[in-house]
Amino acid sequence: MQSWNDIINIALLGTSKKQLDTGGLPAPLQAAAGTVLAAPGTDREEQFLQLASLVFNYRQSGAMAVAGGPSTMTVCAPETKPYCSATAIQALHHTLDSENIPLLHLWLELCMRNNQVLPPEYLPRILESASRHKSLRNLAAACCGKRGEWLAQFNREWNFSVAVDSTEEMWENGTTAQRLEALSRIRGTQPAEARTLLQATWPQESAAVKAELLSALSTGISMNDAPWLESLLQEKSKQVKEAALTLLKKIPGSSLHEQYWQLLESSINIDHKGKITVTPSIPPDAEIFKTGIDKLSNNARVSDDEYILSQLVALVHPRMWEEHFKASFEDVVDFFHHEKALKPFAPALAQAISWFADEKRALSFVQHSDTFHMTLLPLLPSDQQDTYILQHFDAHSSLVMNYVGQLQQIWSEELAMKIFRFCAKNPYTYSQRTMGDFITLIPSSVKSALDGISTENENYQTYWKSISMHLVGLLQIKTFIQQSFTKNS
Amino acid sequence: MDLTEEQVLAMAPDESSRKAGKELAKPAKWVSTGFSEAALWGECQGSGSKPYQTQVDTGAMAFRCSCPSRKFPCKHGVGLLLYYAREKASFVQQEQPAWVTEWISKRTEKAEKKAQQTTEAKPVDEAAQNKRMDARHRKVSDGLEELVRWTKDLIRNGIIGLPDKGADMCENMARRMVDAQASGLAAILREMAEISYYSEGWQQTFMDQLLRLYLAAQAYSHLDKLEPSLQQDIRTLIGYSQSQEELKTQIGVTDTWLVLGKQSTEDDRLITERYWLYGLTTRRPALVLQFTIRHQPQTQLMPAPGSCVRAELVYYPSAAPMRALIKTQQAAPADYQFRGHAGWTDVMAAQTQVSSQWPLYNDQVYTIAALTPVQRNGQWWLRDEQEQEMQLRPDFRSLWKLLALSGGQPLPMVVIGRETQYEPIGVWYQQEYKVL
Repeated sequence: MQSWNDIINIALLGTSKKQLDTGGLPAPLQAAAGTVLAAPGTDREEQFLQLASLVFNYRQSGAMAVAGGPSTMTVCAPETKPYCSATAIQALHHTLDSENIPLLHLWLELCMRNNQVLPPEYLPRILESASRHKSLRNLAAACCGKRGEWLAQFNREWNFSVAVDSTEEMWENGTTAQRLEALSRIRGTQPAEARTLLQATWPQESAAVKAELLSALSTGISMNDAPWLESLLQEKSKQVKEAALTLLKKIPGSSLHEQYWQLLESSINIDHKGKITVTPSIPPDAEIFKTGIDKLSNNARVSDDEYILSQLVALVHPRMWEEHFKASFEDVVDFFHHEKALKPFAPALAQAISWFADEKRALSFVQHSDTFHMTLLPLLPSDQQDTYILQHFDAHSSLVMNYVGQLQQIWSEELAMKIFRFCAKNPYTYSQRTMGDFITLIPSSVKSALDGISTENENYQTYWKSISMHLVGLLQIKTFIQQSFTKNS
Repeated sequence: MDLTEEQVLAMAPDESSRKAGKELAKPAKWVSTGFSEAALWGECQGSGSKPYQTQVDTGAMAFRCSCPSRKFPCKHGVGLLLYYAREKASFVQQEQPAWVTEWISKRTEKAEKKAQQTTEAKPVDEAAQNKRMDARHRKVSDGLEELVRWTKDLIRNGIIGLPDKGADMCENMARRMVDAQASGLAAILREMAEISYYSEGWQQTFMDQLLRLYLAAQAYSHLDKLEPSLQQDIRTLIGYSQSQEELKTQIGVTDTWLVLGKQSTEDDRLITERYWLYGLTTRRPALVLQFTIRHQPQTQLMPAPGSCVRAELVYYPSAAPMRALIKTQQAAPADYQFRGHAGWTDVMAAQTQVSSQWPLYNDQVYTIAALTPVQRNGQWWLRDEQEQEMQLRPDFRSLWKLLALSGGQPLPMVVIGRETQYEPIGVWYQQEYKVL
């Protein structure tokens, strides 16, 4: 409204500098403006304030909506999946109140598995949680359905909520996280196909995305990948080069692996009597130092040569030793544990098993070794993991506690009780938050047994009690979530 | 009493009570629970040996708890109502325990006594009252004279330099208005002090408020020439209070009122809660204000947003009545048909009507049949079925919930605002009212 803008402009400058031209006022205000100006004894400021009040009232009495014109706003497509039940929503309320992300993960997982979606009003809160917790993103995208996808077009933080059904669609139209998941899935069954797909889009990807997508190739990696990965060592991005180098180190037979093996082969030998000698023969300017191998030991008790060899042992496939020593793997393990010259390299051998994710040799190694090797735990069959942890828990409690949260299956009751007894003794290290992180792994059956766990330290009793009560509450929510989907699935 | 979880949580005085209430909304926390026609109660095991006795008068929505908390409702009250909202089946209808009966009877007795006291009110010393009123009138008139002088000085010199000194200038004048017993105008000046002077459009906001001050001052100096209802509006705007007890003696408007929403603001420990109501039969909007000092108990428990109450409301005298107080209230089922304005043209006609009766009106509330949130040039608008659009207030907090419920489709909506900017406070989604 022009006359209101004029009022503002004069107010900005001041009536001492400029006066309002009443000729510019709308016709219906002219008569009233004339009366204001004709009133005796009013100064400029009074006149201005009266005229401004007139325009102010005129403006607010005649406010009108704007003609919108054709809308470019799309209407959200209808959901193809049913909404989850009222009980599931109630469980969601409890879950959100608990602020426990693993439980939210569980809720979303069950919702997705039941092929259901969330009612619209809950979407902003779930999408917001997912934008803060990467692990929830793909689940949230699936559970927020078409409405979530529609909403995401208005909020850049939520662009992960593009629910894509097929792997191909996920690879072509998904977010980086979804594309990585699609590539990993394809890689699991068709390794060459996955590599070809990545090669096809390679020039269009940014360096960060390239590095992220390359990680999918670690599944089913083989000599077939080596030529392309070696060519990537010429890429400009340091991030990409490092990702390619890491992958090459995982390929037994790659030129890098061969380089490492040749040095080991010439340094570690066995004579005809079966005696093993270690005589490091590593030239100081060897190429390996350009590939991430450190020259200097940071431990005074470990010589530089021993340190270099340990790094190489950890990066060479364990089967190479079987050929080199002409022995079974059990014998190789025995050599590494009992031959004086090889003993220092036993942990490196365990690392090599872990590096090449050699599940068969991992099991064999732990069966023939009394030492606890954390790195081998994930490679053991699920049932063996529980047993292995129970076997070494008392001696390596703190170390094991770092891994128990990553177990893939629910803890056995025996393990759960062992963990709780340890936590009760250290409530300030393993707090409510730790229990919250573990919640999906804790068997619900231990709920009643929790009362029986206490700590001898009187100072810790109250704190452990509150942790234990918190845990019971979380277990109740977990059971409720599971029941709410079982009843309605 | 039929409250949803959302409605109960909206009653909680603050975030910590809400969180603590959620923790208490579990069966394990309650030693006993029950309900009767008049009350809902429970005994909550706290840190002491004796459980806290929490009770709710479900008719008048009043609370009582034996815990020492000063919050109202306390976490036990929120927890009990939340537990009831979530798991009604766990509550058994039974005879009230003695401690509940005692409280309910005391309340009834007190209400009767109060009613009797009102009818037997002390005679007023009119001479003394007039003397007090004259003294206040003089104080206010002197203050307003100074305010007009200040306004004219500002206008003479121009407001271009305000970003540097505006906040202090307004704050100083606000203090002067407090001394002049014109607390209403002081509040407007404090709002002016808080304008973001480095944001685009501050000049418009400032001038709007300045002209409201000027008009109020001018109107007060010619008060006897105005209609009695308009005189009351001016007096209220300046800061004269109206006796609530006196208002309660008047006959109000009885209707089933839908609580459309609640807005809370806090200024220097004073919490102002604005409850927007809509009469389902009378089709009249109402605004009920509740003021509390932080950490002090509330005087009245207000109905939860989204719920319905059968209540008698007395409107404050005004040329365009909006503010009201609740004289009596009883919980009522949410059983109604939506009725509202067809679109913005209707709303604007209604607003012009209000403006013609009371030019210094504040935010109004409107129910509109079908509005769609749409985005244009990076801004959000509310579009009606005639493709007329009004801008969504830029500071609107529940945009994502609104969008999620709409999905690009029109929804029956409740908006608050005036002129060309509005803020939705609730929508009907699949015939159910959702508070935003």
